Amino acid sequence: MAKITEKTRNEVREIVFAFFAEECEAELSKITDNTNIIRDLDGDSLMFLELIEIFKKKYNLDIELKTIGKYAVKHPVDTIGQLIEMQMLIIEHENRLLELDK
Amino acid sequence: MAVKVVISGMGIVSSLGYDLETFWKNLIEGKSGVKKITLFDASACATQIAAEVCKEFEEYSKSLVKKRAAGQMTRVTRMCLVAAKQAVTLSALDFEKENKSRCAVIMGVVNTGNSSVEKDTSLQNTVFKSMTNSMPAWISLEYQLLGPSFAINTACASSAYAIAMGMQMIRNNMADIVITGGSDSIINPEEINGFNALYALSVANDPPEAASRPFTSKRDGFVIGEGAGVLILESEEHALKRGAPIHCELAGYALTSEGYNIMAPMRDGEGMAATMEKAITDSGIDKSEVDYINAHGTSTELNDRYETMAVKKVFGERAYRIPVSSSKSMIGHTIGAAGAIESIITVLSLKNNMLTPTINYTDPDPELDLDYVPNVCRQKEIHVALSNSFGFGGHNATLVFKKYPGI
Repeated sequence: MAKITEKTRNEVREIVFAFFAEECEAELSKITDNTNIIRDLDGDSLMFLELIEIFKKKYNLDIELKTIGKYAVKHPVDTIGQLIEMQMLIIEHENRLLELDK
Repeated sequence: MAVKVVISGMGIVSSLGYDLETFWKNLIEGKSGVKKITLFDASACATQIAAEVCKEFEEYSKSLVKKRAAGQMTRVTRMCLVAAKQAVTLSALDFEKENKSRCAVIMGVVNTGNSSVEKDTSLQNTVFKSMTNSMPAWISLEYQLLGPSFAINTACASSAYAIAMGMQMIRNNMADIVITGGSDSIINPEEINGFNALYALSVANDPPEAASRPFTSKRDGFVIGEGAGVLILESEEHALKRGAPIHCELAGYALTSEGYNIMAPMRDGEGMAATMEKAITDSGIDKSEVDYINAHGTSTELNDRYETMAVKKVFGERAYRIPVSSSKSMIGHTIGAAGAIESIITVLSLKNNMLTPTINYTDPDPELDLDYVPNVCRQKEIHVALSNSFGFGGHNATLVFKKYPGI
């Protein structure tokens, strides 16, 4: 279990915001935690997976996609803020993510 | 009372322009879009020419297709979406005011364009680029449409089939609006070598613009074109209610198969004639009303011979007085998009009372003796026009277009 520091949190936020601004051709300043990924940004579900790959490499995470898939079914992500929170949980708990629901 | 179907919008991407105005201007000036192939090094191919969409299209498409979605599409799919967006804009459609579950999308799709010339394909986008349903899917996604959305493949008749099916859905009250058409490109070494092995393509590489010469004695095969054509179909009642611009009526169609040969058309144009006959019957017009035919006119030995015979069989002595022209002499054969692009040309001909020419008509074939509108466009008031599309495998389609009163 990795400890989430303020530095990690800021890094994740920065990467997520920059990713959506770039991919969705949106103004960075207009993206907030409440921005809806599909409705407001015309994003797609694949973006979530692409971000996971980015974080897997960056933090050398041991996490399987099926684990994330099972967790996401019970905890759907609609907004940027929700996505950031889930990325934090993935970094923190990796493959033990599903234990959070027990 | 039968439901009348009208065309309220059109969009085009072609070798002669990616807006209707430029496209039409180039057509009536008899320009050719055929050039040396630039999409890949074709020096090892027997055929080294094609009617390519110009490179500036890519920059233009950026204003209409979002970057991320564009990366998930092939160039051919981008052409399709751009033509669809043009058509929707010109039809003044606001889907927020429509019942989206009654808005359908039907596209003629033969190739997705995910060939060796497609650039920047990540592994992640490979599937999206190869999905033959991607064109209708992206259009439905663009406008969040909820009605039927699907692709039809009947080779070179695909988009004519798509238009016919769209018409039928409106006739059957299954949809209020149908976005239909097609987009295609086979300008890649695999397809060119394959078609060359069938002796189907022209190898008259020099000069490129003279290679497509339908109905002449020098014709030696078709010239590949590429592009997209999209039309908006709706019931007359629906179009009038929302004050839509009406370009013409789609009066009828026929779809047939020949059950004869995977490549060659049925001898003496029997199948082609039967298709035109049925379309005329379906449209409720008398054949004496037909005053223009936009031919399939591929510039191949058999198509041009049999299509000529078919026109004579259907119209008898009157065949000699009906102008028949081939747009493929200028824009090449756009395969899955041909039916839609040539439908658009037919609609513009009706609207403008102007017939597009068969260019490169310099060596008449003495056995092909109809009026092919040789080399220059012709001003002529026309009221009813046919558009023919015939595909490998014996898939035939004829669409009947009729001038709309007041246009």
